[in-house]
Amino acid sequence: MDDIIICRCREVTRSEIIAAIRDGAVTVDGVKRRTHAGMGLCQGKTCGRLIERLIAQETGINPAEIRPQKSRMPVRPVRISSFGGENSDAEQ
Amino acid sequence: MRNSDVVIIGGGIIGCSTAWQLAKKGKSVIILERNDVLSGAAGATDGVVGYHTKKPGQQMELAIQSIRMFDTLEEELGEPIEYGKCAGGMQPVEDKMQWDILSGIVEEQCRSGVDIRMISAEEARRIEPQLSENIYGALYSPTGGKINPLKLTLAYFHAAKRLGAEFIGRSEVTGFVIEDGVCKGVRTRDEEYRAGAVVNCCGAWAGKVAALAGLSLPIRPRKGQLAVTEPVGPFMKATIQCARYNVIKFRPETITDENILRYGSSLSIEQQEDGAMIIGGTREFADYEEENTFAAIDTMIKRAARFFPLLENVSVIRFFSGFRPYTPDGMPLLGPVSRLPGFYMAAGHEGDGIALSPVTGKLMAEYIADGKPTYNIDAFSPDRFLSEPSA
Repeated sequence: MDDIIICRCREVTRSEIIAAIRDGAVTVDGVKRRTHAGMGLCQGKTCGRLIERLIAQETGINPAEIRPQKSRMPVRPVRISSFGGENSDAEQ
Repeated sequence: MRNSDVVIIGGGIIGCSTAWQLAKKGKSVIILERNDVLSGAAGATDGVVGYHTKKPGQQMELAIQSIRMFDTLEEELGEPIEYGKCAGGMQPVEDKMQWDILSGIVEEQCRSGVDIRMISAEEARRIEPQLSENIYGALYSPTGGKINPLKLTLAYFHAAKRLGAEFIGRSEVTGFVIEDGVCKGVRTRDEEYRAGAVVNCCGAWAGKVAALAGLSLPIRPRKGQLAVTEPVGPFMKATIQCARYNVIKFRPETITDENILRYGSSLSIEQQEDGAMIIGGTREFADYEEENTFAAIDTMIKRAARFFPLLENVSVIRFFSGFRPYTPDGMPLLGPVSRLPGFYMAAGHEGDGIALSPVTGKLMAEYIADGKPTYNIDAFSPDRFLSEPSA
């Protein structure tokens, strides 16, 4: 059970997540910075909810009060070549 | 009420380093953190450990002391911190004007005995073959290094805890205990923490925290926006900033383009051990507004592709941002505050906090435990921003 992979992108196991929570993580970002879970290609889309649930289980904090991962651009990976063309307003 | 020798406010890289050094000296330490360890700038940065981005003079001398400590840090902390010693630091230059400005700064920096040179475009491309052909030359610092800032902060944090330091997260300081003009502790919403010394390690928030003790210090948040890419194979070894990084840092008066000044837009880029590239480079005053902005990321990403054309095929998986603690003279505030005995500052490193974290923690611990640091840091005294007490 402890070897179950919670974050598939970065291959982080359940026991590693629990160790991070015992180290003091009380948010998804706290787990992320300790284990790198949620830092992979999908950016926590799959594991974010699982991590929230583990934090609730381990700490007794009400699941509704656990801060989800901060959402950031981009929604999915974007190639560097697709950013602003030569004529965009920002300086080169 | 709780008692300890020292209360550290802030669980970032400076607070954790200071806690570790104090615990090593046998002091009982409580770290109070508003959120969690790594929730500020230490969790949103690249890991440059370089000489060439340091202000000539005192700041450079401090960096030399600090970078020397990285040699044994991993062993002392007992956790991997991914130190890439001598990975090199480079700043490709775009034109003669940048070359002349950087050459002048390098000359001043080299007075401290560090190895920083100006090299030709061909030589730069021999060292970093992915660099664009379209450059004028480069600054190169072969002895600069890099580190994983998340792992380094956690390693300080764990080492401090192993030596007995207590970490209390989700505890925001709401005020100070000041009796007869002496700082005796701090208050949070539900507890009073008394200590012989209180250290403000709150980074970009350090000015706000100092204000709770009646001190007006000019530390402001300076926002840096960053991007992280998907992992790729070995692409670059050195940490790289475009020359404009140092130009903006040391000679902002030479820049006339308003957009460049507003975003402080320059490129910084490095590849982590896991293969991901960390791209950054804005320096903006945006109060504490943490969202990424299209204008800034557009500028930053285009500059990455301008210097490394092959990056066009690589994907960004996340943008993020952090707040660096800006000070008017570009130097951190380190040491006791004369007009409030018991109150210490260790904040204001702006973009140099990672590299200066080892020596900052060490000197602060010496100040508090021994009354005097082994290396004179009077030039960094917080008193330089405080007028004489009026009462």
